Amino acid sequence: MVDFIQMVVSGVAVGSSYALMGLAMVIIYKTSEVPNFAQGEMALVTSFVTMMLLTTFGYPVWLAFCLAFVFAAALGAFLEFAVLRRAKNPNILGTIVITIGLEMVLLGLVSWKFGAEQKTMPFPIGPYDSFIIGDIFIAKLEALTLVSALVLMALLFFFFRYSRLGLAMKATQQNPTAAKIVGIRTNRIMMMTWGISSVVGATAGLLISPVIMHPFMMWDPMLKGFAAAVMGGMTSLPGAVVAAYMLGIIENLFGGYVSIEFKSVVAFAIIVLVLCFKPSGLFARHYVKKV
Amino acid sequence: MFFDRITAFFCLAAVFFILTANTINKYDCKNTFDNELFTHQKVLPMDMKRNYYEDVQLVTSPVVFFWLILLFVFLVVFPFIVGNYYVYVANYIAINIIVAAGLNLLVGYTGQISLGHAGFFAIGAYGTVILMAKAGLPFLLALPCSGLVAAGFGFLLGLPALRLEGPYLSIATLGFGLTITQVIGRITLFGGREGLHAPDIVIGSWIIETDRQFYFLLVFITVLLLLGMRNLIRTRVGRAFIAIRDADIAAQTMGVNIVFYKTLAFAVSAFYAGIAGGLYAFVLKFIEPEMFTLMMSIMFLAMVVVGGQGSLMGPIVGAGLLCWLDLKLRNILDIPFLGDWLETLSMSWFSITGVSNIQYVVFGSIMVAIMLFEPLGLYGVWLRTKRYWRTWPF
Amino acid sequence: MKKKMMILGCMILMLFSAPIAWTEEGVTDTEIHIGQWGPQTGPAAAWGSVARGTGDYFKWINATGGIHGRKIVYHMFDDGYNPAKTKAGVKELQEGTGIFAWASGVGTSPGLAVKDYLMERKVPWVGPAAGSLHWVSPPEKHLFAVYPLYYNEARALVRYAVEDMGKKRVAVAYLNDEYGKNGLRGAIEELEAHGMEVVAQVPVEQTDSDVKPHVMQLRKSDADMVLLWTTVSHAVRIVGTAKAMNFTPQFMSTSTCSDFPLMNHISKGLWEGVICATFGELPDSDHPGMQQYKKEVFDQFASKDERWGMFYAAGIIFIEPMIEALKNAGPDLTREKFVTEMEKLTGFKGVGPEVNFKPFDPNDMYSRQGTRQTFLVQCLADGKAEKLTDWITLD
Repeated sequence: MVDFIQMVVSGVAVGSSYALMGLAMVIIYKTSEVPNFAQGEMALVTSFVTMMLLTTFGYPVWLAFCLAFVFAAALGAFLEFAVLRRAKNPNILGTIVITIGLEMVLLGLVSWKFGAEQKTMPFPIGPYDSFIIGDIFIAKLEALTLVSALVLMALLFFFFRYSRLGLAMKATQQNPTAAKIVGIRTNRIMMMTWGISSVVGATAGLLISPVIMHPFMMWDPMLKGFAAAVMGGMTSLPGAVVAAYMLGIIENLFGGYVSIEFKSVVAFAIIVLVLCFKPSGLFARHYVKKV
Repeated sequence: MFFDRITAFFCLAAVFFILTANTINKYDCKNTFDNELFTHQKVLPMDMKRNYYEDVQLVTSPVVFFWLILLFVFLVVFPFIVGNYYVYVANYIAINIIVAAGLNLLVGYTGQISLGHAGFFAIGAYGTVILMAKAGLPFLLALPCSGLVAAGFGFLLGLPALRLEGPYLSIATLGFGLTITQVIGRITLFGGREGLHAPDIVIGSWIIETDRQFYFLLVFITVLLLLGMRNLIRTRVGRAFIAIRDADIAAQTMGVNIVFYKTLAFAVSAFYAGIAGGLYAFVLKFIEPEMFTLMMSIMFLAMVVVGGQGSLMGPIVGAGLLCWLDLKLRNILDIPFLGDWLETLSMSWFSITGVSNIQYVVFGSIMVAIMLFEPLGLYGVWLRTKRYWRTWPF
Repeated sequence: MKKKMMILGCMILMLFSAPIAWTEEGVTDTEIHIGQWGPQTGPAAAWGSVARGTGDYFKWINATGGIHGRKIVYHMFDDGYNPAKTKAGVKELQEGTGIFAWASGVGTSPGLAVKDYLMERKVPWVGPAAGSLHWVSPPEKHLFAVYPLYYNEARALVRYAVEDMGKKRVAVAYLNDEYGKNGLRGAIEELEAHGMEVVAQVPVEQTDSDVKPHVMQLRKSDADMVLLWTTVSHAVRIVGTAKAMNFTPQFMSTSTCSDFPLMNHISKGLWEGVICATFGELPDSDHPGMQQYKKEVFDQFASKDERWGMFYAAGIIFIEPMIEALKNAGPDLTREKFVTEMEKLTGFKGVGPEVNFKPFDPNDMYSRQGTRQTFLVQCLADGKAEKLTDWITLD
């Protein structure tokens, strides 16, 4: 029983970083219908820049993190402005290819600048300090990730539902032309969306970096986050978070009770199964295509 | 030196022709142009087709015949006039052409997405080697068999894909690609993670040992598969695929059996990847599960997109260009002129130890640029150029 | 018709190919061409410094007079750990430039992709940078393995844990590939020799980024010694997660993780106390040879982003025997002579383990596996190392 609880707790802990990545992808998909494969690498760039600020320039942590979020927002907005907006009436394949291309560019730049050797980011909370209650433990850093994921989800949820800007974003997604007609600057909305999403993704990256940094560190969280977002329905913020936690817990239970070798791919098998029965994810209203 | 100059001259000439055509004629009758590309109906009168059979015909005029003969002669003579290394490169490219052609059927013609083709590639590679080494089948039987096995998996993956699209489909196929290598690595019959050595290929009394011998086998198979693809596309099946891509619901109302054709597209595409994988095992003579990465799947997709989706020439050009670049960018600092500049740039702004990673930047930029400026890929560029110069002074 | 074509082809081929010189391929009066591949991109790129280390070592040799008046021309390329690219690069260099011998080269699968090709052409290849049994079973005349077998490293570690530290319960966390499995096998066999069993075998996948389930299994097995046969990142994660779980066995690890300054840094000090096997003197040790290399090779020739780490030094360690044999082969260098000189190396001691080759014997893998020594070090607080044993020879 203790094992089981521990596995669930570990699952929730690891699910948090998936949740953050998933949230970031959902935000972009919600407004612009772009499945953003570059999400992980956007966070990667931010993390490495932050590490550089902390170690090379010796900035204090709070300042470096503030700058990191500003940088992340700027990066997201810039990519939207400079690349995605330039695409001529792209279809879904087109956007996938563009974001994969961006991903490779960013990955290449990071590896070119920082080399392949493993690094780590200084952080006030040690990645291996933990809270231990009875026999159950959770690392402090993961607890922080968990809190950030939930807080961000709540903030974003209310933001999209009640704030003017959030509503404008929703309108942009549902019908860009109509949104333009009623006076929403859809271009600007898109840029903001990308900025916000990039910040959310960067949070995940920054909370992974204190453990180990290398140029490929975001692949796994990004793919799992994407899987969670798809499972949650691609447009639902709480859906993505719930799915992320489900994936994390299932992974851990699977690793503990069934086969540890397949732990890292079980998430994808589950995705295929879920999609067989619910083709547009668990939490999205069924998507009916207009002819 | 002499050859360098000739190459340089031809390159410059090509750049001139392409640039003129693409800058001057760019916005001219855009719609006709796109229509022409997607339906394969040439709008110029001399290309008028009167029935479907003419569309399938390979030799339509003496000029085409002449070029075909020339191509044939070139393919035969090629391995004798270049060094062994270039024959190896040609083999590598040919294999990628097969995968890209198959993927193009799925992506370009049927409008589906696959980020898991490395999985089918792996199935083909393992299937061929296992069938030959463990079951003792001859190569010519083992290869199509493993292709069919891959096609079977393609069919299975096609089933959930019936209801999926966009990001849903991409994550499902991606998951398939990642899972399959994991499963292969687990099975001891497949050599586990230690990998497998490929046996020699024996066809009748012909033992294939050198790259040159393998080249002829490979070119034969590639041409065969490409002709097969061409016929598939230009007949009823191909038109059904295109109909599904353009509007699947509309296609269904017109009587196209979506279930059948979508799964068929997956199966055929996987078949091509499987055959290519089987051949790849013999290029390397050694396979292990971790070769078949997500990056490989991404590169396959990039080949299709860069070359031009929804055209026959596209994947060939795309695979050729990207493979060549992939091999050429091994030593990025050895590139004349640019290399020195990159070295200085790395020294002052980046790191010299990571300078090879520029190749990611190059690949990524090509993908982005193609999608932004010419969604129809290099083939689109070629068509535009051809159209412009065909009627040139007018 | 076909015959004519062949003749035509051959004529053209002859026109293009350079006139055949009398000397050995890859050797001129002033140059020896040596090639190597090393991943500078992709997930294995951290290993790329092996190839760069070799390059700087050759620069130093050239600067100190070369080998019998010949300079070494070093051809290094990036294969991104993609065997198809390795093969392409090797072919291009071998057939275009003409390489006398191949040095090192990172990775099992890239190496296996080119092994047959090189062996068919009888091109010597010294010191593949991966401790695989594939190199020496069966042994090949022109392939000389210098890297200590992971299998032997694991045995040395387990033996030390059982005999000197009195550990009773040994668990192994291994990367689920050839590298990890070789280590696992060594551990199992050594324990069997002591009448013991591995209490837990936990495979780690390359793509795993969360190792909690793995550490839970290790903890459940109640091991008092855990052998980590994983990548650097996974080893650090496992040690860290174990600490977070209050699970503190003795950790032991492979030579891959023996770069203590790096390990100590990225584990934020948790690597202290971990015992590792090594494939040579540590970069920061006071061994005079290593000190000399640091001063004369690294300080003079390394680019400014380079770090004086284990992998960089490995690029020197694996190649020392090759240079020794090249020197012994005298001014009239041929491949045959070089191979004979390699075979004559007995008791050669540079900064690595003692190197012993024997005349080629297809049934004796140690005729081509030159090293079977390793020694154990323990990581101290600031990434310094303490030598626990002297060189241990395994048979």
